[in-house]
Amino acid sequence: MRPFEYERATGVAGAVAAVTANPAAAYLAGGTTQVDLMKDGVQAPDLLIDIMPLGLRGVTRDEGLIRVGALTTMAELAADPTVARWLPVVRDSLLLAASPQLRNMATIGGNLLQRTRCRYFRDVSCACNKRDPGSGCGALAGSHRMHAILGTSEHCIATHASDLAVALVALDAAVAVRGAGTDTQDRKIPLAEFYLAPGDTPAAEHTLAHGELITAVEIPLLAAGWRSGYLKVRDRASYEFALASAAVALNLQDGVIASGRLALGGVATLPWRARGAEDVLRGAPATAVTFRAAAEAALAGAAPHPGNAFKVELARRTVVRALSTVAGVRE
Amino acid sequence: MTTTHAARTVGAGLDRVDGPLKVAGAAPYPSDFSFAGMAHAVLVQATVAAGRIRHIGAAAARAAPGVLAVITHENAPRLERAPGGLTIGPPPPLQDDRVLHHGQHVAVVVAETAEQAAAAARLIDVGYESAVPLLELDDPRAQRVENATGRDVVRGDAAAALAAAPVTIDVTYTTATQTNNPLGLFSTVARWDGDALTVHDSTQGPAFVRTALAVAFGVPESGVRVLAPFVGGAFGAGLRVWQHVLLAALAARVVGRPVKLVLTRAQMFTSVGYRPRTVQRVRLGATGAGELVAIDHEGLEPTALEDEFAESLTRSTTVLYECRNVTARTRQVRLNVACPTWMRGPGEAPGVFALECALDELACRLGIDPVDLRLRNYADVHPQTGKAWTTKALRACYEQGAERFGWSRRTPRPRSMRDGPMLVGYGMASAHYGYVQVPCQARASIDREGIAHVRSAATDIGPGTYTAMTQVAAQALGLPPASVRFGLGDTEMPRAPLQGGSGLTAALGSAVHAACGRLTAAFLDVVADDPGSPLRGCQVEDVTASGGGIWITAQPARGETYPAILTRHGLAELTADGQSARRRDLDGEPAIFGAKFAEVHVDPELGLVRVTRVVAAVDGGRILNEKTATSQITGGTVGGIGMALLEETVSDPGTGRLANATFGDYLVAVNADVPDIDVIFVGEPDPMTPIGVKGIGEIAIVGVAPAIANAVFHATGRRIRSLPITIEQLL
Repeated sequence: MRPFEYERATGVAGAVAAVTANPAAAYLAGGTTQVDLMKDGVQAPDLLIDIMPLGLRGVTRDEGLIRVGALTTMAELAADPTVARWLPVVRDSLLLAASPQLRNMATIGGNLLQRTRCRYFRDVSCACNKRDPGSGCGALAGSHRMHAILGTSEHCIATHASDLAVALVALDAAVAVRGAGTDTQDRKIPLAEFYLAPGDTPAAEHTLAHGELITAVEIPLLAAGWRSGYLKVRDRASYEFALASAAVALNLQDGVIASGRLALGGVATLPWRARGAEDVLRGAPATAVTFRAAAEAALAGAAPHPGNAFKVELARRTVVRALSTVAGVRE
Repeated sequence: MTTTHAARTVGAGLDRVDGPLKVAGAAPYPSDFSFAGMAHAVLVQATVAAGRIRHIGAAAARAAPGVLAVITHENAPRLERAPGGLTIGPPPPLQDDRVLHHGQHVAVVVAETAEQAAAAARLIDVGYESAVPLLELDDPRAQRVENATGRDVVRGDAAAALAAAPVTIDVTYTTATQTNNPLGLFSTVARWDGDALTVHDSTQGPAFVRTALAVAFGVPESGVRVLAPFVGGAFGAGLRVWQHVLLAALAARVVGRPVKLVLTRAQMFTSVGYRPRTVQRVRLGATGAGELVAIDHEGLEPTALEDEFAESLTRSTTVLYECRNVTARTRQVRLNVACPTWMRGPGEAPGVFALECALDELACRLGIDPVDLRLRNYADVHPQTGKAWTTKALRACYEQGAERFGWSRRTPRPRSMRDGPMLVGYGMASAHYGYVQVPCQARASIDREGIAHVRSAATDIGPGTYTAMTQVAAQALGLPPASVRFGLGDTEMPRAPLQGGSGLTAALGSAVHAACGRLTAAFLDVVADDPGSPLRGCQVEDVTASGGGIWITAQPARGETYPAILTRHGLAELTADGQSARRRDLDGEPAIFGAKFAEVHVDPELGLVRVTRVVAAVDGGRILNEKTATSQITGGTVGGIGMALLEETVSDPGTGRLANATFGDYLVAVNADVPDIDVIFVGEPDPMTPIGVKGIGEIAIVGVAPAIANAVFHATGRRIRSLPITIEQLL
């Protein structure tokens, strides 16, 4: 790890100003990804501003939503009674992620900004357009079992690793962001507009400007009549990133899907909202046929590579299973 | 939960004597040792798999804060390679500009702190003249090595028997590269005093490290001391003397200060060996009644370019079943890969996977129950030599394992058993390991407090050697275990062999037993003419050690304690040495046996396999400690689950770079993957060793993967012949 300066933040405005002013500065929250990246030489900030003293922690309920402080830990959010009661998809996505030790340290804001687990991104001896724009993509010619099949480009096939983000994208959550220009006022960005596909610029993963700080996440509560769940498929039973995952919320009325939400994880370069599949679900009977049609729609446009071609069908089956489970319908 | 049912044990369930130290964090592992003035070394590794180093830009690193030295092939002192090949390890590092594998050590940075060394190591710029590496087993440029272990067998005429056999199986299996991955990062702390060298090291054989270091640096072996009182696991990674060990000592020599070197997790994948991947073709010929008439087993695996590593994949194939016509061969192919090592159940774990899956395929073809098929081909004598087994309770393994598992509930047809939506499969496999007992020495003393001090330069990489040897000594000397202090992991102690090949417990236990016996004799010598001793004139065969002293067997009230003898004779302590070696007077074949039974649940849509039960029945001779032995079998079973379903070290095509050298990406089984494991010990003490022990380290993993693979077939009807069995193979 390269030597760096470390400061503890004393206020939001000061922290935002300090990082904004210094292109080589970065925030430090739980550190569960950041410190690894620094040890591996993937990131080498000159200055780390530790924002854990800022508070920004806890869950408050508001009209039809919960507001989650960005520094709330994954464990804290998973244990929140409102989340457990109204947002099982969020709770499941948290508890199926990482390990208890990591969930005790990792923050919600940090979770949404975590970097890809792509081993070519994380090994500085490899070409990577995300880490070093223009250097190429080591994954394309390498091992891509864990890589994306949706939202990819010829420059990057790295998978977005977060489970929580998949659930939040499905729920139309938004992040509250503080920038140097807005001073005391938070800017709200719907998560659906927050993440960027790699395209020609894989280094740009979201719409935050350097120095902008996520202060909170707003998650709309599902209304009565909705049910939700998160299914994560992986090789081992715990502590592994998804090969495929699905966040599902359904409003069922007399066996008919009035409305449904679906997002996919483990298969895409960003948390993948499957709106085409939602169109299939809307107004359709909650049957295996409907779910299979939705799954086909969700994977439309998938662009697999030899090492991850199986993920197209695996993701479809994951979608079908998640929809069936949430709907209480046998496959 | 693990349950156990032991046959013959010396000390059922004694808690680990080193347990309190370990759980309190007070057990000193190699990286815990420090010396005054110590510097820290960090390694720089090659990022190409073949070619030459064109230049090393080290100026920035040398100028970085705290840096004491940057050592490369351009300035490294010459190091000699110790003779003895296998255990000594790969060629000495930094001796020329050639790159033989991705991850080869090309420089070592020494600095005041480990952080400074790591930061400076990132500043080193190495330019390569790359060559096209040899990475594939079928590369025509690659050198092939035939029968490197000398264990190939040709018995009868397998080809003719296959051609004539009414039923034949001809299948090819592959197993993945696996990395040993002990939890403890391998570490070396080295300190020179003139030509004397003290090294703390993560090793399974301190004596071999001492020899290699003495030869490498051209210093007298008597001046080299290697210590390893605690090692954070090894699974075979500590069987060889690796380059980083030499580099730590080299760095200490160059900077004139003690040096500590701790490998990173990523470096653990390229620096301390791994289990090579295998390709194995198995052909079986049988009668319609399931009598094996031919076995042809051909194994292929990679090895490194300038290394002697080799293992036989086919040892069990030649001895597990009665069969007249057997051809068993293992070949290595030399590639631009890091040096492999023996990983738990070396050769046997992958080899028995292929053999036992082929047997399952044959059973299925013939419509014979898999256990029954094995019993029909039971080898009552050693099939190669025709000699009797010293002991063999494999039949009891099958019978008791099947009984405990509930094998009779299995319905033979694949996909015929379900639990709700889940497909259920039952599978089984035989296990065999031919253990090695090599000479070993130990020393035992008793002091005036009645405390025994017993020691040998062995290691305890986790199986419970401290505990088992404490029990052996306590029993031999008639002391409570709390009065025995067992010491190991120091080359100043009597010489011990490697802790490998399931051989140490038998070798060391026998040496400890011998030392304790001679110590008893030494006490009798002291009182031989002592009119004040009730033991005057007694011979060893007349007495029993118990109750903290020696008593006449025929007159149990007559005798005295060790301290009484020492005190009366003005002695501080008495000491005796003992040694052990393989018995040459017993004309029998020793071997370890087992039978493994596994139940899996398979999600038919998602291709997810979960192991739900395992029964492991093991004939390990006498079991010294039921609790630690059960832990051994449990741990090996967990390793077998990983081998079957999860573990694969992946390298990039064309470059040889490892693509998953982290604990997040290389999947070992976690708690949630591990079901109830039921361990049964059967059999009798093995007369081949004085204490009746066979050794169980390897048999713990052998047979687990094929039992699981056979269960997956039974559940799904899909025969997956490539490990690990993953979701994509079952979709």
